[in-house]
Amino acid sequence: MNRVQNTKMILWLIVGFAAAIGLNRFIFGLGATTNLTDKTPWGLWIGFDVMGGVALAAGGFVMTAIFYIIKREEFYPFVKPAVLTAFLGYMAVVFGLIFDLGLPWNIWHMIVFWNPSSPLFEVGWCVMLYSVVLLLEFSPVALEKHKRFAAAKNFLVKYRFLFVLLGIMLSTLHQSSLGSLFLIMQYKLHPLWYSEILPINFFLSAIALGLMMVSFESLASHWLYKRKAETNLLAKLGKIAVWVLLVYLIVKMVDIFLAGEASLIFNGSFESNLFITEMLISAIIPILLLGSRGIRNTNTGQWIASSLVVIGMVFNRLNVGGVTMLSVTGDSYVPSWMEVSISLGVVSSAILVFLFVIENFNVWNLRPVDPQAQPDTLPSFDYSSHAWLGVPNVASITKYSLAFIFAFSFGMAVIPAKQLHSKGILEIEVNRASGKEILFINGNRDDNLVSFPHEEHINRVGKENCNKCHHYVLPNYKSSNCWECHSSMYQRVDFFKHDWHSSASGANLKCFDCHMRGVTKNSSSAKQCTDCHPSYNFSEASGCGFEKYFTYSYADAMHNLCVTCHTEKSKELVDAKNLSLCSTCHKIEPPESIALNLNWQTTKSRFNNVVLPVTENIEED
Amino acid sequence: MSYAILTDVTKCIGCLKCVAACKETNHLKDDVPRVWQNTDGLSAENWTSIISKPDKHYIRKQCRHCLEPACASACPVGALHKTDSGAVIYDSEKCLGCRYCMMACPYGIPRYDWNKTVPYVKKCMLCYDKLKKGKQPACTDICHEGATIFGERNDLIKLALQRLKENPGKYITKVWGEHEVGGTSVLYLSDVDLGFLSYKTHLGNEPLPSTTEPAMESIPYAFLGMGGAMLGLNWIIKRRMKLNKTNGKNMEASHE
Repeated sequence: MNRVQNTKMILWLIVGFAAAIGLNRFIFGLGATTNLTDKTPWGLWIGFDVMGGVALAAGGFVMTAIFYIIKREEFYPFVKPAVLTAFLGYMAVVFGLIFDLGLPWNIWHMIVFWNPSSPLFEVGWCVMLYSVVLLLEFSPVALEKHKRFAAAKNFLVKYRFLFVLLGIMLSTLHQSSLGSLFLIMQYKLHPLWYSEILPINFFLSAIALGLMMVSFESLASHWLYKRKAETNLLAKLGKIAVWVLLVYLIVKMVDIFLAGEASLIFNGSFESNLFITEMLISAIIPILLLGSRGIRNTNTGQWIASSLVVIGMVFNRLNVGGVTMLSVTGDSYVPSWMEVSISLGVVSSAILVFLFVIENFNVWNLRPVDPQAQPDTLPSFDYSSHAWLGVPNVASITKYSLAFIFAFSFGMAVIPAKQLHSKGILEIEVNRASGKEILFINGNRDDNLVSFPHEEHINRVGKENCNKCHHYVLPNYKSSNCWECHSSMYQRVDFFKHDWHSSASGANLKCFDCHMRGVTKNSSSAKQCTDCHPSYNFSEASGCGFEKYFTYSYADAMHNLCVTCHTEKSKELVDAKNLSLCSTCHKIEPPESIALNLNWQTTKSRFNNVVLPVTENIEED
Repeated sequence: MSYAILTDVTKCIGCLKCVAACKETNHLKDDVPRVWQNTDGLSAENWTSIISKPDKHYIRKQCRHCLEPACASACPVGALHKTDSGAVIYDSEKCLGCRYCMMACPYGIPRYDWNKTVPYVKKCMLCYDKLKKGKQPACTDICHEGATIFGERNDLIKLALQRLKENPGKYITKVWGEHEVGGTSVLYLSDVDLGFLSYKTHLGNEPLPSTTEPAMESIPYAFLGMGGAMLGLNWIIKRRMKLNKTNGKNMEASHE
């Protein structure tokens, strides 16, 4: 196995794994696959696959502009691979978008229903048109394989200049409009990234990234296929990139200074560190590296600089696309491993198609084979050579299929069953603090913490009687509210909820699902609760106070404690009108370690906010 | 006729009847706490919620039905739009699920069916079906305290200003939503700061669609300008190359 086959094997493994996860996403929905929330509706798939993907594909329009418009003809070897990368990049964007869109089968709506005020509408149209243009730009390479397509090829070549021009114009629009998308999020995006010239920043960074992506792609293919590196050409490319990066850096910094936000850069917050890191990776270090002639002309220097720009600019897209909004929305989004694997799968499949095309079509006609390379490690696509090509082609296809199938089944195996069935239902984790003497629970569901001595209660009622509190419906991690059954203060009431069981929005049962036919329909002719709900505990031992289908009144169930408490506690100068809140009496503040771990937000002002000042009248009594 | 809702925070007793009425009218299912839910109580099955704040303050959260909605301007297929009646309504048939509306809303109102295979955006529609029949929304209809009332927007603003005038010191002297982000159709009178209802505590008066307008308007110019610039550049460079060539020939000729 040579380097190409190893790489392909790894890519196929990733694609196979991602295919299983992708299937999971379409069967069970976004909630079961992603960590997206209502606060963070755009995550890794938009930030990396779409915004990063479009930016990474900028090489196509940059290289065609340099070659066809500015006529720098020495860059010819880069043009075809750059157009191919761009085309596959856009295909990957659309492919990734299919996973991210909630209703991907409606993606064609963008063609029919128009909303010209939306930047996304504009981006959508440009991406569609530009993909077609890129296909037209690239297809001469594919058509030249067979002679019968010669007429079509000649036609496309004849009008290539027009396509190139149109491609550059469309790219200008949507590369910048991707920035316009975020103009409307004025209140969410951090001021260091939000700017009225966001479209210009995006456009400039796309040009720089396009140049460096071409150089990264060239270096990576040279490494992969052991071809001779185009070091001199890459150095020239680097020289152009330095100027673009400088313009980008200056525009960005001047904009920040003019907006008076310069102090935000060094205030030590999460965002300021993020910003400094981003600027260092994406612009400052590459400018220094590529700016020095000695480093620019070395292979290593080119590797480092182009990787830094590629990583840094994708990092920029991720930051704009959501990372810097987290502190405003108060969310803590980290992509799930499923999201990450699908993103990797999309990228891997694009690379596989890229490798397929360069192996089968004449993309690299000007790239010489490295004479230093060993003949037996030559890529298997080199049909003209009679040297031994390593493992035969058919065998490698078998291997790739096996890798795909293995990874696919592995992916299917590791999808957690809980993820599929829970549908994102949040377990209220009261038991997080179990074993401790006091639990801090969201007792009233009003986000006020209640200190609840759980151990003490266990000791009082006995370990076997959990169901005294954790009644009949809910599992042990939740305790049901008393009033759900004891819904009347003084009357015995039917707790069965006949209406709910028969209504379509409830249990949706038909009469004869429960009642027997031919007999008067009443409670004695119907099924028992436990016939359908075997886990319910209606025994006396449960202590809930059920009698057949009737509950005790609330007052009875509470052992007539209302009055006792209200009179007793009002003497103790506790806020009498808030006695219905558990936290009125139970007000031990949780230690910070616990408070920080709790899911709901707690601040001191919200915690036990019901304490009133001592009034003199009562004290005299 | 642009209708609106005025919610008086000082009058609300937090009985949640509006929430129940909303659920019934819109056939929303029981709500289960989900991992993707915001703590404000709104969800795909809960289009309005009551947020309790210290000292018995209950604030109803719902879609603000902005006069110039960011969500409607953002939607690439126009699935959301502001109707003449004041409601910002959602057309699920058009939606493609990009969730840009959720990103654009400064109040974080639209919610998503994350648990469904065919998910839609969910939010308050001001009971648009009822409005069309000349009825008022379920939430204002059921409120016995008069804490949340329905009416024409101008009338409600007048009423609110009147209340502010008659009860000096009772409220923060501001009709919340009168000017925010270009004005909203859901107005609030309050004695506590309602900044927490939006992502930034104090929103400007500029409507959010106007932030993208300059960029969108300059698109044709950028498009044609870039084309023109490229053609011009190409012409200059071609000419220069030609001149160089002829110059070179002339030079050669002169040398000869």
